[in-house]
Amino acid sequence: MKIVGVAACTSGIAHTYIAREKIMKGAQKLGYEIHMETQGTIGTEDELTPEQIAEADFVLLAIDIKIGGRDRFEGKKVVEVPTNTAIKAPTKLIETIVNQLGLS
Amino acid sequence: MLKKLQIKKHAMTAISYMLPLVVAAGLLIAIGNLMGGQVLTKFNGNYPIASVFTTLGVWGMGLLAPVIAAAVAYSIADRPGIAPGLLTGIISYNIGAGFLGGLVGGYVAGWVVAALVRYVKVPKWAEGLKPMMIVPLLSSLIMALVMFYVIGTPIVAATNALTNFLNSMQGSARFVFGGILGGMAAIDFGGPVNKVASLFADGMLLQGIQQPEAVKILASMVPPFGVTISWVLARVFKRRIYSKSEEDNIKIAFPMGIVMITEGVIPIAAVDFIRVAVSSALGAAVGGGLSMTWGIKSPVPSGGMFIVPAMNKPLLFCLALLIGSCVTGLVLFAWKRVVKPEDELAKVEEDEPEEDIDLSDLKIS
Repeated sequence: MKIVGVAACTSGIAHTYIAREKIMKGAQKLGYEIHMETQGTIGTEDELTPEQIAEADFVLLAIDIKIGGRDRFEGKKVVEVPTNTAIKAPTKLIETIVNQLGLS
Repeated sequence: MLKKLQIKKHAMTAISYMLPLVVAAGLLIAIGNLMGGQVLTKFNGNYPIASVFTTLGVWGMGLLAPVIAAAVAYSIADRPGIAPGLLTGIISYNIGAGFLGGLVGGYVAGWVVAALVRYVKVPKWAEGLKPMMIVPLLSSLIMALVMFYVIGTPIVAATNALTNFLNSMQGSARFVFGGILGGMAAIDFGGPVNKVASLFADGMLLQGIQQPEAVKILASMVPPFGVTISWVLARVFKRRIYSKSEEDNIKIAFPMGIVMITEGVIPIAAVDFIRVAVSSALGAAVGGGLSMTWGIKSPVPSGGMFIVPAMNKPLLFCLALLIGSCVTGLVLFAWKRVVKPEDELAKVEEDEPEEDIDLSDLKIS
């Protein structure tokens, strides 16, 4: 399983990065490969490469605001949740998505 | 229906674009004022540096309504929303509808643009004209009519009424108001409830009312300081209410609190949300009530302890902050359960337990 994702919160200094950490840890715990991009106040970091996006089984957006470059994910399966959901239960979130997509 | 409109997401996007501007403009005003600057009105080459800072800050504050309106419209309608959004905001600023007018106008502008992009059909030869001329012109015309004739006047009236109400509040009403605002600003550590309170305080700042801003700043710092106080109390009285990893988190949360980042408390609150949230809100409510009662004003919306000198009563602010933080600290110290050694072991194995969340309406597109 390969996942790509973007995290972005309102103030762009804290929740963004907490969500990123939690999701990465959750995915790694489940044994999935994951790449997370952050769009904080400082700008985009760890930008996803076109190859990473092309290979991903789905896109996980943990965002509270509008993000840039959403068109990159056209044609992919995209799941959007608030950062809070990803922070509270990252593993459950990923498991639920995988089950609903019938990928497991 | 409401969920589909994504009202909150658009407002949050606007706040995220607005924050750096408010901070820069507010600090410029504060620094300029501290140096004795005034707003420049004559442009004849005689520019004292203090006045340059103050003037730029005041101009920057004037940009807020346009930036908010543009960001909301951008969030709704993507790039075509920016130009009509800016125009909507400048109307709001000039007719005195300020922040609120910019916010409401931004939604209307965004929806108008989105509708135009979607429903205006042009012949093939005119396709280049649509984004370059038809959409910007039509949306701006519509927004001019909407802002001047429809939503402008009631918003100006509402803003003025609110301004007068806040200015006329006395005694206990001020305490209650400050308490509610402070409690809201602290209860979810920088989450959505905090953003509502924060939005309100920023809006008031643009109307020249600076007291809510002081409450907001205080309430952002009470949770980290309060948690730190409870930890110190726990050390002094040898009552073990924090595990090792929580202690490490507190050591990070405290310096973050100094620069007004409440979010450092989240890892501590995540483990014991109710107790930490309630005691934080209590402390911030007391501090906020005192701050309002004492008439503390802040011309700057963000910056933590570093902008306290810019306030009108810095020492009283510190006192209100200290009292609020002590309330939080004492409540936490008394209320929190003692960590059992076996809990700590279990925690290491499982690291953090995840909360139950409702994922039933998860949309996959």
